[in-house]
Amino acid sequence: MMFSGILVNNKKSIGAIAVLLFTILLGVNIWDMCAAPANAPQLFLSETCPLLRIDPYSLWFNTLMTGCSLLYLLLMNKEIQKVGAHVAEYFGLIFFIMCGLYILSTYNNLLMLFIGIEILSIPQYILAGSDKRNLKSSEAALKYFLMGSFSTGILLMGIALLYGGSGMATGHGSFYIMDYVSILHTDALNPVALAGILFIMIALGFKVSAAPMHMWTPDVYDGAPTPFTAIMATVVKAAAFFAFLRLFQVAFNSLSAHWTLVLAVITAATLLVGNVTAVFQQSVKRMLAYSSIAQAGFMLFAVLAVNSTAWQGIIIYAVAYSVATIGLFSVLVKLKDYTYDGFNGLAKTNPLLAFTATIFLFSLAGIPLTGGFMAKYYVLLAVVQQGQLMWLVIFALLMAAISVYYYFRVIIAMYFKPGNAELISPVTDTDKFLLIVTCIIVLLIGIVPQLFLTVFKV
Amino acid sequence: MNYNIHDILFWGLSAMAVGCALGVILSRNPVNSVMFLILTFFAISGHYLLMNAQFLAVVNIIVYAGAIMVLFLFVIMMMNLNADVEPQKGQLVQLAGVISGGVLFLVILAAIKSASPIDVDKSASQIGLIDNLGKVLFTKFVLPFEISSVLFLSAMIGAIVIGKKEDTHVINK
Repeated sequence: MMFSGILVNNKKSIGAIAVLLFTILLGVNIWDMCAAPANAPQLFLSETCPLLRIDPYSLWFNTLMTGCSLLYLLLMNKEIQKVGAHVAEYFGLIFFIMCGLYILSTYNNLLMLFIGIEILSIPQYILAGSDKRNLKSSEAALKYFLMGSFSTGILLMGIALLYGGSGMATGHGSFYIMDYVSILHTDALNPVALAGILFIMIALGFKVSAAPMHMWTPDVYDGAPTPFTAIMATVVKAAAFFAFLRLFQVAFNSLSAHWTLVLAVITAATLLVGNVTAVFQQSVKRMLAYSSIAQAGFMLFAVLAVNSTAWQGIIIYAVAYSVATIGLFSVLVKLKDYTYDGFNGLAKTNPLLAFTATIFLFSLAGIPLTGGFMAKYYVLLAVVQQGQLMWLVIFALLMAAISVYYYFRVIIAMYFKPGNAELISPVTDTDKFLLIVTCIIVLLIGIVPQLFLTVFKV
Repeated sequence: MNYNIHDILFWGLSAMAVGCALGVILSRNPVNSVMFLILTFFAISGHYLLMNAQFLAVVNIIVYAGAIMVLFLFVIMMMNLNADVEPQKGQLVQLAGVISGGVLFLVILAAIKSASPIDVDKSASQIGLIDNLGKVLFTKFVLPFEISSVLFLSAMIGAIVIGKKEDTHVINK
């Protein structure tokens, strides 16, 4: 349904068309959601094997993420055009990323998972390297590409093992995630399938930059042109998480006793590494890269908890985190100097920019009344409902306290340090308006999160 | 124990594949590595043939052994890597590599050891023939097949974006 628009786009050149198409995409998504009957409509299926399965969760997720991307495009439009000469291609690649996102949120077959992940990743490799005059950008692209290909190999290995493991139980293998529910739900342990699950966990952990596999994140996010870092750190990551959750909730639910501990350790390591390293950063952009690792740790909670609150949690978290980070990055691109000192005295020279940035930072830190608080609340609630892993929840709260420190350093720099923050591009009225809208969304999520969850009441 | 020709071929090809794969990572000279890799692909193609999947075997040879490996060789020759210029890693890194590799090996070994063999009808399978492959590809798996075109399109655009000449002025921060 949404794919046709994507293919046509890349010939058109200006950002306005991209925005227009995104609006259409959003419209189609909403229309699709309203039109969807209670039993999920199934697309592209022959009788026996639906390759995609569209349920209310994924539709709602698609809509919200399209909304986030639209916001991103509106805020970053001018900046994207500044990166290099191939503006149309950049927008085209962002559409490809959306295509990958739609596949990842609806896949019902490991084959589709693989293709979705690849469609999501390949445009990112290119976007990371799109600023060809900057050596750091090229380094980021190369590093991301090599590490990403390696993790894809691991993913394929995991899928192959899982296929073999499922074949061992039934006589013929299967790629359908629905089949795994029945196949794996037996008393007999299936070690081959378990090894496959481990491999897939590692590969997906790489995509969401969970701790032992996080090494690429700071360099890539730091090296890539800032407008593209914004989408890599937000929408893309959310999509990878949604895929992660979908696979582990739907397919491997019955085996959760086997993988929960591994994932819990990964989560703890992610939180620790992300938060503690972020404290020591001097550049705000790099700090945001580490903070995105830390936020990934929180999102992993949703995967850990095998219940319906987890779905709500991941969606709220994805939106709250994406909107706040996109907003913060759009403030960041206006500044000349990305270090903390570059923010000194921003409140005096440009109070609105400083104020909105403060709201976004509050949200990322998880201060009540902002979206980040509700998001953290939901994912942690999901794990608490599960009843195990209380140590991890307490650990996460501790880490959230650490995160307040480095987020507030930026706020302190803006409001209390003397200085003269220099902007490289002027803040127009449209920018101001959009930033305020973004702020309002962040606050809305914090005050009435039900607004973003109503769809599940159906 | 009676061996038929199928088993002998299978074991021979397996030994060849594993031996050549070891050669790829053990040989110091990159050109030799590439040659070993080509041999590995040939051995794997042999396995495909044993499973009666001619199409897969041929494609494997044409695409991997033919196109990709030649590209590999070109790159190695252009960059003049045939000398032994591989940087040596530190002891600690080597140790960490050995440990993590060994753990991984153990996991897979444990998994395979407990795996129960299933009887697969070896020679009579028709599934790898080009006829069946085409049918499956355009009916059951038509969606992934079509969507991979999006993937390739994005890769092509990427190649253009990266390859096109822009501004030679390099900023090195």
